[in-house]
Formats: sequence, C-alpha cells, structure tokens
Amino acid sequence: MKRLRFWIFLMLLPTFALIFFINLYPLVRGGVISFQRLTVFTLNRPRFIGFENYRTLITDPNFWNIILNTVVWIFFSVLFQLVFGFILALLLVKPFKGRGLYMGVVFYPWALSGFAIGLLWSWILNGQFGILNDILIKLHLIKQPISFLSDPRFAMFSVIMINVWYGIPFFAIMLLAALQSVPKELYEAAQIDGATMWHRLVRITIPCIKPAITSTVLLRIIWVMNFPDIIYGTTRGGPAGATNILSVQMINIVYYQNNFGKASALGIIITGVLLAFSVAYLIVAEKGAFEL
Amino acid sequence: MRKFSFVVLIVLLFVGLVFAETVTLRVIQVFTSPLRTKVLEEIISKFEAQNPGVKVELISPPYETAYQKIYLMVSAEEPLDIVEVGDWSLSALASMGKLLSLEPYLAQSQLTGHLVPGVLDAARTYKNTAYLLPNAIYVKTLFFRPEITSKYNLNNAPATMEQLLEFCRAITKPEQNQYGFDFRGKGYPTAFIDIVMTSFFDDIDPNCMYLKKDGKLIFEDKRALDGINFYLELFKTAPKDSINWGFDEQVNSFVSGITPYLFQDPDTVGLLNELLGSDRYRTAPLPLGKGGKAYPTIGFAGWGITSYSKYKDIAWKFLEFFNSPEINALWCKDYGALPVDMRVYDIDPYFKSDIFHGWTVMFGDTQHYQFTKYPLDNEAWSEWNELHESTMQQVLLGKMKPETALKTWADFWKKAGLGK
Repeated sequence: MKRLRFWIFLMLLPTFALIFFINLYPLVRGGVISFQRLTVFTLNRPRFIGFENYRTLITDPNFWNIILNTVVWIFFSVLFQLVFGFILALLLVKPFKGRGLYMGVVFYPWALSGFAIGLLWSWILNGQFGILNDILIKLHLIKQPISFLSDPRFAMFSVIMINVWYGIPFFAIMLLAALQSVPKELYEAAQIDGATMWHRLVRITIPCIKPAITSTVLLRIIWVMNFPDIIYGTTRGGPAGATNILSVQMINIVYYQNNFGKASALGIIITGVLLAFSVAYLIVAEKGAFEL
Repeated sequence: MRKFSFVVLIVLLFVGLVFAETVTLRVIQVFTSPLRTKVLEEIISKFEAQNPGVKVELISPPYETAYQKIYLMVSAEEPLDIVEVGDWSLSALASMGKLLSLEPYLAQSQLTGHLVPGVLDAARTYKNTAYLLPNAIYVKTLFFRPEITSKYNLNNAPATMEQLLEFCRAITKPEQNQYGFDFRGKGYPTAFIDIVMTSFFDDIDPNCMYLKKDGKLIFEDKRALDGINFYLELFKTAPKDSINWGFDEQVNSFVSGITPYLFQDPDTVGLLNELLGSDRYRTAPLPLGKGGKAYPTIGFAGWGITSYSKYKDIAWKFLEFFNSPEINALWCKDYGALPVDMRVYDIDPYFKSDIFHGWTVMFGDTQHYQFTKYPLDNEAWSEWNELHESTMQQVLLGKMKPETALKTWADFWKKAGLGK
C-alpha cells in the first residue's frame, strides 16, 4: 500500500511541478515584484517600496481614462461579437452545399495572430494610403480620406471593429456546437403548436444554449480584456491615449518605461478586476437573473 | 606495453598543450538577424585566421529577449568576454559594475584619432567613462526626393528650417495627395521633435540635449515654445494621419512621394536603395535653425568587455580589429549604420558615394553641427519616451497647449534631477 502511494505521488509530481512553475510561481513572483522598485537600472538590487507602484498607477491622471476605454473596448467588442457570431452560427446550423469550405473561410480570422491582424489592418485603415479609404473614395462615398486610426473620434471605433471581425468566429464555433445539441423534437413540437420563427428562437433556442452563451461571454470578456495585440499593432494606445486600455498600458510600461515593478502592479490590478468580475458574473448567471 | 603507454602519455600531453593554448572568447550579440550573423561570422573567421590560438564563440539570442538575457548573464558573471552594448542598454549594464572601463586601452590606441567627432563623447555617457567601443553609429539626416520637389521648381535641399517649412508649404496640395514633411507621430518620435526644437537654440550643452550651457532646462526657455510652434507648422504640411505613423509608414510615404522631405537614420539607406533605387533620392545635412545650428545626437552600438573576463587584452584586440577601417566598412554596409572611422568615408566606394553626402558634411562642419547626447544615464529616460510621445500627440490634436506640454516636460526632468 505504501509502495502504491509512493507511485501515485511520483506520477502526479510532473503535473504539480508544471502547474507550479508555469502558473503559480509567475503569479506569486509577479505579486512580489509589484511591491518592488524593479527597472532595468535596478535589476540587481530591487528594493521593496510598499504600495508605491500602485499609488503611481492610480494617481496617474490618465488612469481613469484608461479604465473607461477598457470598459468601452470590452463591452462593444463582446456585444457585437456575440450578435454577429450568433447570427453566423444560425446560418451555419443547417447543412448546405459547400458548408465546409464556407466555414473554413469564415473561421479564418481566428487562426491569425493578433499582432499580425493589427499590422494588417493598420495598412488597410491607413488614412493616407489605406485600401479602405481608396475604395470609399472611388465609390464616391467620401471625398477626403478618413483618418481611422489617427483621429481620436474614430480610433476606438476602428480597433473595436477589427476586434469584432477577429472574434466573431469564436462565438460562431461555440454557439454552433451548442445549437447542434438542441433536441430536434422541441422544434417539431413547437411547429405543431404553431410557433413562429421568432418564438422558436426566443423560447427554445436561446434558453437551450444559454449555458453556452454565458460561459462564452465570460471567457471572451476575460480574453478581450487581456488582449492588447490588435491595439498594440495598430495604434499602441494612441493617438494621445484614445485607445489605451489596461493591457496595452501594461506593455507600454514594460517596453517603453522598462519598469517591471509598475507593470506587475498593473497586472495584479487587472487580475483583481477580472476575478471580482468573474465571481459577480457567475453568481448573477447562476441565479438565472442573467437574461439575454 | 610499457612503451605503448608512454607513447599514449606523450600524445595526450601534446594534445593537452595544444588545447591549453587555445583561448576562447565568448561574444554575445543583441541585434541578431540571419544576414548580420553571417557578416559577423565572416569577420570572426578573419580575426581567427590572423590570431592562431584564439577561438571566438558567438552567442546569438533572439533579439526580443537579448537584452534581458545579457542583463542576467552579466549580472550572474556567466562566462562572457565581449558583450554588444547599445546606447539604450549602456547605462543599465554599466551601472551593474560588470563592464570594463576601456579608457586605458583607448589612451594607447591609434583608433581614437580617426573617430567621427562626438563618438567618444557619446560612448562616455555613463560617468564620463567609455565602457564600450562603438563600431556603428546612427545620426539623423535629411532625405529628399528631387524628382518630386523639382516639379515645384525646388531643386536644392533646404539649408535652413525656415526654408524647409517654406518648401513644404509650397508643395502641399492635399487635393492632389501631395504633402511636404514626412512626419513621425508614433513609436519614439522624441528625436524628431528635438531636432526641430533645439535648432532654435545656439547654446545647447554638448553633454545633454535638454540642457543649455548655463545648466538650465531648454523647456523653460522661450525658444522652446517657438520650436514647438514651428513643429506644429511643419505638421500642417504632413498628412493628418501621420500622427499615427511609425518608421514603416514614414518610409512608405517617402517612397510613394507623398512626403518628399524626411529626417531619418542611415539604416533607411538600404531600404530606400531596394525600394526606390539609389538615384531617386538624396541626402543633405540637417537644416540649420534660427540659432544657426543643428544639434544631432549620435545613436550607437558597439562592443564592451566584461570586467571579469579572463582575456581582457585579447578581447580588446578583437575590438580594435573590428574597428579597423576595412572591417568597419564591411560591417556597417550590411548593418545599415554609419562607420565610426572617418577614413572609411575616403576609402570605401560605397560610403564615398553621394548618398552619404548629408552625413559627411555634418561630420566635417563642427561649427554648425554640434553633436550632443541624450540623458540616457538618467533612470527617468525610459519613462520620458512614453510621456513625450503622448503629450506631443495631445498638442498635435489641439487637446493640450504647447505651454502646458513644455511645463509638463520641465517638471518631469526637474523631478528626475536634471537642470538647475
């Protein structure tokens, strides 16, 4: 028996080690660093400075603007991804000729790297030699090119649009899988009772796939919040902070300021916000108070 | 059997002796790229051929993680003899105390007499001691497109900033998608702002771009405001979109001819030769400002020696070999940087060519072109770039007054201990 226990322990060890080194250790280390003054200049001699990093972050006059940007970025990105992803899933649920190929094309953005998408779109949306402006001008829809990424009025809208384009496939995949598991009998019964398309959607489809929607939305909110790639690839948070969100600011602090302590503090803040949000969201969703 | 053992022993001893004489220098590079590594290996094999008994082992970490790796290796005193040091990493590395002062070697070297003006001063950024020997430098100059500007009867390069603005205004025709100045709004625009702003001065501290000779910050001087306002005028001759332009967009716009006046570094030459051809653009010295001067800074990269290296003298030999005119020319040509040895500009056909006109004029005219340095040894430097970029963008968008930006900058540097 003792021998067996030893073997069990030995077999489990790699998993524990992996989780420890890949998840737990960086988290704890990040937490420790967030209380230190650690920059490239003090790599050898970090010193503890209490909550100084947190204080500088929160008292930064731009901080609340960044928070607001983050909320706008998450809300509209996820909302439009959900709506369009759901529509796409509904279109794809019934088999038709060439569906495989069509799905392949539609799901393609999801396979691309975020930074690559950022770079790609920054050329498409370029206000001077971007292809989108060119098309709009040739169609006589606009006279002057629009500075999609360099005008603070359009910049946030533009990056959200890119993110929506990128994120639709994920919702479509998740919701399509859920749609396919809805029992056919329910629809047949509803049809006999004379339910309209709208009724079937609202009374059968959505309630049946609600758990999938809930979990996908939660996942996406967390991912979108931690997804600086597109913004970093297009505007780096500019112009003048118009598209700066928490995760982009974290990268800027690491690469521009080389201040690892401050970046870790921001990382911990992000983790805290997400944790609080996830708990609240799950409680509400579990209670059934979450309706779409 | 005994005889056999004896022979084996002798052979082993001999082999041991041979190997004991081989010195291995461990060299680590930062800006790794396949092309660059090839040239570096070529230079190393030439060095090895000249110095039997010396082997050079090259370590090439991927660029993204190179700095971090070097910081860690050096701080842990892992076996390294020569490390690549750039202007941005010099102070961080030197402050660890693991880099050797090269001053004793430089005092005896013949190379120092031939260096481009300002290079040694730039290398002495940290505590006025040279901890590296630069082998490649970056200095911004004016690039322009005669075939575009000549359509507007502008055949020569602007000699002054006033002229530059005048030329840019003359050719700016938004309805024809023709603009003047190739503006940089994103991704380290610091140097572009500073070139224009400091051209309004004539008393910049040769040791610090942001100080006047009287030790006060330039941002508190009236001329700084004139500089920003002038910069805003230049921005009006650039596409509005350029507030979001980095290096790629700048080059693209220059190549397509939308903005035919560009300030850039020598690494743009290789790109332009490929995209445009060397006959379709020219370089000229930076336009002089109201103060009658221009203040370029020198960006640099080179080799440093670790303070704990066992083979310091041989390492220096490698550094000297690397900076000899022929090798320096070979190195910089591929790298897209400027050679540090003035002799290269006389002997090498590539660097002698017209394309490098802008730089050779600036290097030869120390009266009008005064090289100065950024406060790279100040810890606040890395934070500065982000602040400078975002506040400047706000000024460009009209969300912040130039006076407010100047005050923000002055306060920032005062807090960092710069200026009286």
